[in-house]
Amino acid sequence: MALQLIDTDVHNYPASMATLTPYLSRHWQGYVEQSGMKTPAASMYPKVFAAAARRDAWPPNGNQPGSDPDFARRQLLDEYDIDVAILNPLVAASSLHNHDLANALMRAVNEWTAHDWCAADGRWRGSIAVNSRDPEASAREIEHWAQDGRFVQVLLLVRSHAPYGQRQFRPIFRAAAEAGLPVGIHFGGGGDVPITACGWPSYYIEDHTVMSQAFETQLVSLVCEGVFSELPDLRVVLIEGGFAWLPALLWRLDKNWRGLRSEVPWLTELPGDIVRRQVRATTQPMEEPDNPEHLLQILDMIHCDEFLMFSTDYPHWDFDAPDRALPKQIPEVLRRRILADNAAQLYGLG
Amino acid sequence: MRRSSMAWVDVAATSLADGVHHVELDDGRGIALLRRGGQWWALRDVCPHQGARLSGGTMRGRVAPCLPGEEISLNDEEPVLVCPWHGWEFDVVTGRSLADPCRQRVRSYDVKVEAGRVWVQA
Ligand code: FES
Repeated sequence: MALQLIDTDVHNYPASMATLTPYLSRHWQGYVEQSGMKTPAASMYPKVFAAAARRDAWPPNGNQPGSDPDFARRQLLDEYDIDVAILNPLVAASSLHNHDLANALMRAVNEWTAHDWCAADGRWRGSIAVNSRDPEASAREIEHWAQDGRFVQVLLLVRSHAPYGQRQFRPIFRAAAEAGLPVGIHFGGGGDVPITACGWPSYYIEDHTVMSQAFETQLVSLVCEGVFSELPDLRVVLIEGGFAWLPALLWRLDKNWRGLRSEVPWLTELPGDIVRRQVRATTQPMEEPDNPEHLLQILDMIHCDEFLMFSTDYPHWDFDAPDRALPKQIPEVLRRRILADNAAQLYGLG
Repeated sequence: MRRSSMAWVDVAATSLADGVHHVELDDGRGIALLRRGGQWWALRDVCPHQGARLSGGTMRGRVAPCLPGEEISLNDEEPVLVCPWHGWEFDVVTGRSLADPCRQRVRSYDVKVEAGRVWVQA
C-alpha cells in the first residue's frame, strides 16, 4: 500500500556526549572524557522553552527531548500513524575549530543514528551529518554511507560561514549527487558571522523569524554559482525555512537574470525553472495567514505541485501536528502529494 | 453559549497542588484544571490552535505592556496559561487568546469548591 504520511523533519539528539562516545576511537573517547566537553550545539539565544522543545516532549527519564528512540516512536510515529520519518540530528560538529575532532564527531553521530535509531524501528531514516568546515572529509563521509539505504539525504545547516554555492563546498554537493542523495539544508547553524546581513538582532523572535534570510542567501548562491547547472542530478531540500517567501524571491532573481546573465554565463535558463526542478521544501513551520486561501495562492505562484513535503519538526516547540497543520482548503490530490507522495518520490521511499 | 445540560461535576480533591492539572470527565472530555492558592480555573484541555493538551503548559502572570527599554513586569493578578507547544497564551478566566482574543478562544468552565471537593460546571 502506498505510504500515507511521511515526516520529513524529525530531530534525534544524543542525551549527552556519553551517547556518542561508544562510536568514537579510543583517542577521542579519552579526549572527550578528560575535557568534559559538551555536545556542540548551535544556539545563540535562550529559547521559548527548554531545549526549544514541546514541553510534553521530555522523556520519562528526564533526558533531552528527542534522545529516547522509544519515547519518540510512541509520541510521534505511533500517535500520528507516520509511515516514515527522516531524522535530522542537529549536532553542530562544524562549530568546532578542531577539525579532526569535528570529523570524528560527524562519524559518531552517523553511527549513532544508524545503530540507536534506524535499527530500533524501520520507520526511521537517517540524514548523513557532515562537517561543512571540511568538505573533502564530508564527501568521504557521504561515500561511506552512500550504499546504506537507511540514510536518505545529506544534512547541512543553513547558517554557515560562507554561502554554500561557493566552490569550497562543491565536494559535498558532488558526492551527494553521485550518491543520488538530496542535500537537506536545515534551519539553524552559525558561522563566524552575524546571523543577519545587518548584524546581531536582540531577540529570539527575530532570530527565529529572519532565518528565511539565510535560506534565501543559500538558494540564490547555489543557483548563481552554477551548482545546479554543474550537477543536474542534484536535489536540494530547504528544511524548516518556510516557503511563502519563495515566489517573490524567484520573481526578483528571474528579473535580475534577464539583465545580469552575462555575469554568470553558466546560468543558461531561468533561475525559477532550475529551482522548481531541483529544489524542494518542507512544510513546517507552516505560514499561517489569516485567510488560508492566501496560502493556496502562494502554492499556485510557486507553480509546482511536487515542491512541498510535510514535516513536523518533532520534538521542537514549533512542531506542526499532522492532523491539524495543513489548511482544509488544500485540495485532496495536492494534500496527498504534500503528506507523502512528494517525499516518497524524492527520497525513493515505499 | 453554555449548553443547558451543563451540570456541576466533582473533578478533584481540594488537596491538589498549585499549578495545572489534567482531569477527565466521564464523557471523555479533558479539562485543564488550574489552581493558585484559593483560586481555581478550568479550561477545555485542547488548544484551539493545533490541539495540544493545555494542561502540559504553564501558568504565569501576564506580561504587562511597556515601552522598549522599560522594565518588563508580570501582572500576577491576571494569570495566563501558556500552551506547551507554540506558546500561545490564554486568559485563564475567559479562555481568550491574548494575541487574537476575538477569534481564538478555548472554552472556559465555572469552578466551585464545596464539601472539600472541586466542582466544574461542564
Ligand atoms: S497548539 Fe497550542 S499554541 Fe499551537
